[in-house]
Amino acid sequence: MRVSLNWLREYVDLPTDDVSELKRAFDMLGHAVEEVEHFTAGWTDVYIGKVLRVAPHPNADAIRVTHVDLGDGEEHQIICGAWNFEAGAVVPVAIPGAVLPGGFEIGTRAIRGVESHGMICSERELGLGELHEGIMVLDDDAPIGAPFESILALPDVVFDLEITNNRPDVMGMVGVARELAAWYETDVKYPDVTLDTVAGDPRLEVVITATDGCNRFVAREMRDVSIGAAPLWMTERLRKAGVRAISNIVDVSNYVMLEMGHPMHAFDADAIAGDRLEVRWAAAGETLETLDGEVRELTGDDLVIVDDEGPTSLAAVMGGARSEVVDTTSRVIMEAASWNPPTVMYTSRRHDLRSEASARFERGVDPNLADDANARACKLLQEIGGGVILETVIDEHPNRFEPVAVNLNERTVQRLLGTGFDLARAESLLRRLHLDVAVGSELEVTVPTYRPDLTRPADLVEEIARLADFDTFAETVPTGPAGGLLIEQRRSRLAHNLLRGAGLIQAINLPFVAEEELAAFNSDTVDGVAPLVVTVRNPLREDQAKLRQSLLPGLLRKVRENRNRGLETVALFESGRVFFAQPWADDERVPEQPVRLAVAITGPFGGEGMGSQSSLADATTALALVRNLADGLGVAIERRPGTQAGFHPTRTAELAVDGAVLGYAGELHPELAEAFEISGRVAIIELDLDPLVADQPSVQMRQVSTYPHVDFDLSFEVDIGTNAGGLVAATVGVSELVESASIFDDYRSGSGERAVAIRYRLRAPDRTLDSDEIAGEREKMINEAAAQGAVLRGGSGTEAQ
Amino acid sequence: MTSNLTNPMNLNDSLDVLRRETVAAISEASDSETLAAIEAGAVGRESPIAAARRSLGKMAPEERRDAGRLINDVAKELEALVEERREELRADERAAKITAEAIDVTVDYTRLPQGRLHIIQQVMDEVCDIFVGLGYHIAEGPEAELAWYNFDALNTPPDHPGRLESDTMYLDYGKPEDEMLLRAHTSPIQARYMETHEPPVYIVAPGRAYRNDTIDASHLPVFHQIEGLAVDESIEFSDLKGTLAEFARQFFGSTTQVRMRPHFFPFTEPSAELDVSCFNCDGGESSCRVCKGVGWLEMLGCGMVDPNVFTAVGYDPEEVTGFAFGMGVERLAMVRHGIDSIRHFVDNDVRFLNQFPG
Repeated sequence: MRVSLNWLREYVDLPTDDVSELKRAFDMLGHAVEEVEHFTAGWTDVYIGKVLRVAPHPNADAIRVTHVDLGDGEEHQIICGAWNFEAGAVVPVAIPGAVLPGGFEIGTRAIRGVESHGMICSERELGLGELHEGIMVLDDDAPIGAPFESILALPDVVFDLEITNNRPDVMGMVGVARELAAWYETDVKYPDVTLDTVAGDPRLEVVITATDGCNRFVAREMRDVSIGAAPLWMTERLRKAGVRAISNIVDVSNYVMLEMGHPMHAFDADAIAGDRLEVRWAAAGETLETLDGEVRELTGDDLVIVDDEGPTSLAAVMGGARSEVVDTTSRVIMEAASWNPPTVMYTSRRHDLRSEASARFERGVDPNLADDANARACKLLQEIGGGVILETVIDEHPNRFEPVAVNLNERTVQRLLGTGFDLARAESLLRRLHLDVAVGSELEVTVPTYRPDLTRPADLVEEIARLADFDTFAETVPTGPAGGLLIEQRRSRLAHNLLRGAGLIQAINLPFVAEEELAAFNSDTVDGVAPLVVTVRNPLREDQAKLRQSLLPGLLRKVRENRNRGLETVALFESGRVFFAQPWADDERVPEQPVRLAVAITGPFGGEGMGSQSSLADATTALALVRNLADGLGVAIERRPGTQAGFHPTRTAELAVDGAVLGYAGELHPELAEAFEISGRVAIIELDLDPLVADQPSVQMRQVSTYPHVDFDLSFEVDIGTNAGGLVAATVGVSELVESASIFDDYRSGSGERAVAIRYRLRAPDRTLDSDEIAGEREKMINEAAAQGAVLRGGSGTEAQ
Repeated sequence: MTSNLTNPMNLNDSLDVLRRETVAAISEASDSETLAAIEAGAVGRESPIAAARRSLGKMAPEERRDAGRLINDVAKELEALVEERREELRADERAAKITAEAIDVTVDYTRLPQGRLHIIQQVMDEVCDIFVGLGYHIAEGPEAELAWYNFDALNTPPDHPGRLESDTMYLDYGKPEDEMLLRAHTSPIQARYMETHEPPVYIVAPGRAYRNDTIDASHLPVFHQIEGLAVDESIEFSDLKGTLAEFARQFFGSTTQVRMRPHFFPFTEPSAELDVSCFNCDGGESSCRVCKGVGWLEMLGCGMVDPNVFTAVGYDPEEVTGFAFGMGVERLAMVRHGIDSIRHFVDNDVRFLNQFPG
């Protein structure tokens, strides 16, 4: 809502001119000032003049020689190229020395041999509008010789206010004035709505059949209206409000909408077919050509005003072309109707016709305002366009709104706002809003129908707080119970930090994917289609209509994009929800949506020394990261060969915790690497986060032995497909003295033979191991390995340290 | 000459010569090998001193004692000098080695892996931590959510524009009467939490939210929010203001001021928007790039919990009061870090993400 300060003063006496003080008042009333625009005369030395004579130019046909009275007793000869005026016209004149918008300087000069002492100006030349077909012709009573800006209400300041959806009443200058009057504790001066009418009945009757869509329909008929341009004072106000001037009839309806907050529509009464207007729901498929020339197909949720030939207006949203006011209009039906807000909301959005009017109707225009607003429009139109107003008013009023009474007790106010607010203070603040307040043991507040937002005690408390000025409230902090992170939340952060510490960068991707992308990492596809897909009913784009079931496609896209930016190494991780169309264990009512953790790495990865490149990320990198997570989170993650769609068939581990599959780690399938246009290997992991971050029993300390350790190596010939990690676990399992064991060599010959070398460290908690004991343990391990099919190739000595 | 040491008649003089020669040699020794040779030559197994000691046995007992003391004194003196010189040489060698192994500390010879948390994650964690410090717990909830929790439980009227498909994303899932959507804010978490917890409640609810917005410099269809809720026996408006002021000071800096302006939200009454004083110019500069001279930065929406919300979740609005607030994580990050487009957050350009340590 754009509010001109000069216009606003017509309705309220403001105690200040200070723009920042007024801005603060608007802000603190809850009508945030989005912008302050200063309007000044964009010129110097432009005066109001009266054209005395107009004569042809002796040497040119397209221009004329005028003589103009500027109130100084002299005749000023000015050459003019416009033809939209004759002698007697009152016009703006730039005299020699004037500077017009854009720095355009006016001087005395000869035009085709005749001297011109200045220029008669058009709207565009003065920066007041777009019109340039002719010069501006002012009202006959404009003061000759006065500076032109003196009749333009300049300078002026326009506050662009953000009006919240619950305040239809502030969508007009009068309502804005009412708010400032409450703030500054002063009165509102309401516009004059008294009419001079002539006896007579309108040629139309109005029937409302859609009584659930229309609350009230008020109309007056005016006859013999002269259509033309609206006066400058009105078009200037419209201009500052951001509304284009069109004709006096249309401008008046817009002006009253801005002034009173009630939209208005003017019909050409002679263009209405028949003598009856009906307000009804449109039939599906019905069409209407609206004012903007569009032919619109209607639905049963649209309200229309129809005459004998069908729809003539899309109610509340836009008039129809057929009954539009035109150059020949003289009989006008001025309508002020109020409509059911949701209907307007749906219709304006469905037809993409959001306007000043729909913005008001959506908030809920007070039906009890309709008659005054309508009268105001007729009064103004009569003032500027002449004609007569018929006495009989059409007033169909199917849904009557009555003021509501709201009781407010002191406790309610004090519970929310504090003990500084007793009943007397509450009363005086509410009275500033011109609410009717009866005082007893509590307040009985009668709320006028223009404030539909005030229906409950809490609503009144807001008004009290607002007028008390939010700035006057203290800053206190409640003392509640102690807070904290849940264990799972702490551990989730730990998981993030483990990956971050390992050198990965967290990505955040949108969860929308195309149907095809779902199949890439889903092992359960049927005929290439992934099951359990959750679909967005109203997606932004059709290729983003599905919710992701894996984080990997998004991550891989980002790997490629970063690669394409010239980065050799890209190491990303993401944690986020994936979605499956089946009931969720956490809440059966909503789809399954577990949090996943995923990793994608390509290029050289790990520590890097000068001259020594770190190794290229591959499946072993993924496995190492899984190990990092497992060790860092204190969770035993089992690894076994696994297959999963999208993963490399022979370089992928299935991960499990307590036997339950958690996810997969390995390498991107070469075919998919190609599909994602990523060259080289890509280490990938995807797993369910919840089991990893679930609470764990507190770790109990194990005694750290102070006795010496013994290291020895065993090398085994194994089958090429052996699960060597399992071999280590099995051999370790037969001895209680193993402190640690790790594979330090995994040799594969070209002919399919494989040897695995394991280093064991033995240590007893309570004694130094003797050589017999060590030999015995070693023997047990070799036997266990043999039982697993591993044949001893050799081993190092058992050197005590 | 030194062989004379075995001759008792010349012992005194000979020792003196040996001593002087050896002392001079020790002080001139320039490395530990030379020094070791001097030591061996003077007091080692084959040295004149050793020979002299061996010859003591042949001396008369009365001469032996004096000669022995004389030999020992010289030997001790020389050994001490050798040791002293050896220490000096060691120190020299250490110093030389240290000089030789100097590195240029301005060169990154080695780089260890160092990743980053996404700036959105960092800000979310930081905001949550601030509220944890103020006594809050962190609550989470589903993103694919029942319309009831997203709208109805939060006092959103059936015809509210936010429910339109142009604003909210709906899902084809489940029974038609349980309309399913992608939550438009994280407030449904509050409703769920109140359903399952008795007051007092002090929670923040971080997470993703979804709106049917096309991506541009200031809109994403998926963004992050942190909503807060405090419900207790005597929560007042000033508690809301004070809590958010404390948050703002911790997040933007200790001199930050806050201002609340009336606003409208269906789920709070009174409702307000919170502005924070510009951390860049303290509200003083008309040319400030952060606040554009306004002095205040619009930061979040908040208010006292609407009684209808309490009723919807089974709380008695006569028994408790509360406040709620909601902030956009992207906005917090953009304002504090001067990020010019919200698109950066989902572009995941490593060069962008790496700029924010943490």
